[in-house]
Amino acid sequence: MRASDRGPAPSEAWALRRRGSLRAAALFVMVAWPACPASAADAASPEPPRSQAEAVAIAEQLARGVGPGQPSGSVDQAALAAAADRLAVVPADWILPCLPAIGLATPAGGNWLRTGLERAVERAGDGLSIDDLAMVVTDRRRPARVRSLAYGWLRDRAAPRAEALLDGMLDDPALDLRRDAVEKRLVAAESAEETARRDEYRRCLAAARDVDQIERIAGWLSEHGDKVDIAAVLGFVREWRVSEAFDNTRGVGFAKAYPPEASLPAPPETSGWTRVESADRHGAIDLNAAIATKKGVLAYAVADVRMAEAGTAEVRIGSPCAVAVWVNGLPVMAHEIYHASEAIDQYVAAATFRAGPNTVLVKCCQNEQTEPWAADWKFQLRICDAVGSPLATQPATPSPP
Amino acid sequence: MRATRRLPLLAAAMLWSATAAAADWPEFLGPGGCGVADGQAIRTRWSETEGIAWKVDLPGRAASSPIIVGDLVVVTASSGPRQDQLHIVALDRATGRTVWHRRFWATGRTLVHPTSAVAAGTPASDGERIVALFSSCDLFAVDLAGRLLWQRNLAVEHPRSGNDVGMGSSPRIVDGTVVVQIDCQGDAFTLGVDAASGIDRWIVPREKLASWTSPLGLSLPGHGACVLLQGQQGLDLRRAGDGVQVWSWQGACAGIPVAARSGSMVLVPGDGLVAVVPTAADAAPAWRSSKLSCGIASPLAWGDSIACINRAGVLGIGAAADGQLRGQVRLAGSFWASPILVGTTIVAVNKEGKTFLVSAAGEPKIVAENELPGTFTATPAVADGSLYLRSETALWKVAAP
Repeated sequence: MRASDRGPAPSEAWALRRRGSLRAAALFVMVAWPACPASAADAASPEPPRSQAEAVAIAEQLARGVGPGQPSGSVDQAALAAAADRLAVVPADWILPCLPAIGLATPAGGNWLRTGLERAVERAGDGLSIDDLAMVVTDRRRPARVRSLAYGWLRDRAAPRAEALLDGMLDDPALDLRRDAVEKRLVAAESAEETARRDEYRRCLAAARDVDQIERIAGWLSEHGDKVDIAAVLGFVREWRVSEAFDNTRGVGFAKAYPPEASLPAPPETSGWTRVESADRHGAIDLNAAIATKKGVLAYAVADVRMAEAGTAEVRIGSPCAVAVWVNGLPVMAHEIYHASEAIDQYVAAATFRAGPNTVLVKCCQNEQTEPWAADWKFQLRICDAVGSPLATQPATPSPP
Repeated sequence: MRATRRLPLLAAAMLWSATAAAADWPEFLGPGGCGVADGQAIRTRWSETEGIAWKVDLPGRAASSPIIVGDLVVVTASSGPRQDQLHIVALDRATGRTVWHRRFWATGRTLVHPTSAVAAGTPASDGERIVALFSSCDLFAVDLAGRLLWQRNLAVEHPRSGNDVGMGSSPRIVDGTVVVQIDCQGDAFTLGVDAASGIDRWIVPREKLASWTSPLGLSLPGHGACVLLQGQQGLDLRRAGDGVQVWSWQGACAGIPVAARSGSMVLVPGDGLVAVVPTAADAAPAWRSSKLSCGIASPLAWGDSIACINRAGVLGIGAAADGQLRGQVRLAGSFWASPILVGTTIVAVNKEGKTFLVSAAGEPKIVAENELPGTFTATPAVADGSLYLRSETALWKVAAP
């Protein structure tokens, strides 16, 4: 593949992102609207883009799709459908130059662009260059979604070539590729003798970021003599101080700022709170055990965490109860949902952390449902990068006076 | 038992909607959402090796039913470690060959309970286009050639919509309006979208309570095409075109099985089975039966009869006019798929893959049992004497007799 065909590096992508929407809208009118189909017959034979540059311009406009905050319910999407039709008939060697636009895409735009490009890929058949696809897949500067899409197209055409690329992806920033790389190693290790398999599984455990994969690896290792602390591997915050219970009858407490919350952004006064360390396999803090089994109540929990670097990280919380989270006194997320499932990393939101010590405050609300499955009053929380690598540590627990 | 003196007049005046060609099965529970295939007969014996026209492995998991539109069998699925890859697949009805396959990224939440799936809602077609709603609250419309016409990323527009048990409601196309019911603890609403353009026609808020029921289309003299919305606290009847409320009824309703229509009544699962007459000024039910009750599967109404499968796997058949139980037969297993009627035979598929054929004439009697491997939560489809059975990951076409 020629260098000019590789699509933008991250810095170029940023420049593309900054181009004015007015220019983009004007360009879209020029490149897409002339081809708006008046009938199904027109849709079947759209006018192909006249140049690769025009194809890329269509791809970028599709990627913007319905813009963030734009009410899609008032948008005529026929022009987007017509643009996708035009992209669907580009020559095979124009497809990959259009692909980087995925990195610019709004949620709707990603799907508009994908549907146009995948139709083009279907038409291209074997005309799509395997070598060029492999270069996109292995270029870690590109967005994960771009690389994963290219990987799928490559696998459809040359599965052995695609799978060979996984050998270098055990630490890949693209989560799906990393998962496939771990999976390949796990499958290969199944035929190895036990010691070699254990070594390989330990490497995979360090690389894996998906919870189900980590559980499987840890399960095998535990059965073969390695004790794996799953909560530590996943990086759950396990040491907390827990408040007394406050009233949450009829859900009134969720929106009410009780003293621990009312003092924010100043840290809550936690003297007299109960120190709780989770021994749960998944780092859960069980408030029924820490306080008492109660209904229609809420409690706060505070943890001190240490971050190696300042910056943005993902706060990931799971709870069957309504929860709200603050980091260093600033709100991060709030979900007023009761007993509608529970999962690790159920709610994820970005927060800004300082290098060094930080304070995380959780508000966890129990309702008054009486069904047995609504008894749980608990949460689990971890702080990760975008791939799921744990970032927070906790200072050693001070000895009791 | 309450008398139903006013019913004959209303029954004579009331018309229920059914828009698709007779050979199609275009939506959840078939034409008009009735679950009835008149004048058809299916074979009574099949297995993995006998009586199967074709079997296709699908690209992901689903609890949604197949639909039949012209020469196409259309299914939905989700795949990937996070189940965030959404699929709409059209298969050739005669051969099972893939005609087209569209893939999208989910833009909303994809956590679901293991018994459900991100692709839980059954797609719907008006013969020109296919609409599919996923648990991520993504709504896509494609034409019969697989061309994306429009999309609505409802979780982007309403960030607190959806729930982590999984959204299971199927969309309906009623008189040119796509109606979707987003019942959850967060942003709950019903949306009417122009089927051709994807542009809002109307939106109304709903109680912040989860449910997994689907809108039911019906026509009422003086009101035209309407849609019945069932929530846990009652029924809400609205005009499909503009969302104006025509009637409402307060009462306990089930959160999963969907009401069935019978003459002028709707038979509503809830505390047993309750018959109510839409538009009646009197809020009192026409009748209420504790002997006819539904578990997960929706009731089936035809002629003067009503059938329900309860949580114990007992199929009961009663009189639609007064709810009197006529007979029962014990099936086996748990039933997530709703029963359908083909000719005079009730087809009931349990979760373990066993299909019971039950004579609906006179005392209910099992006339055949046939088993296929897999987990079956999807309601079957039928067209031209062929039965389409979908497991979580595969689709079988049972050949016509």
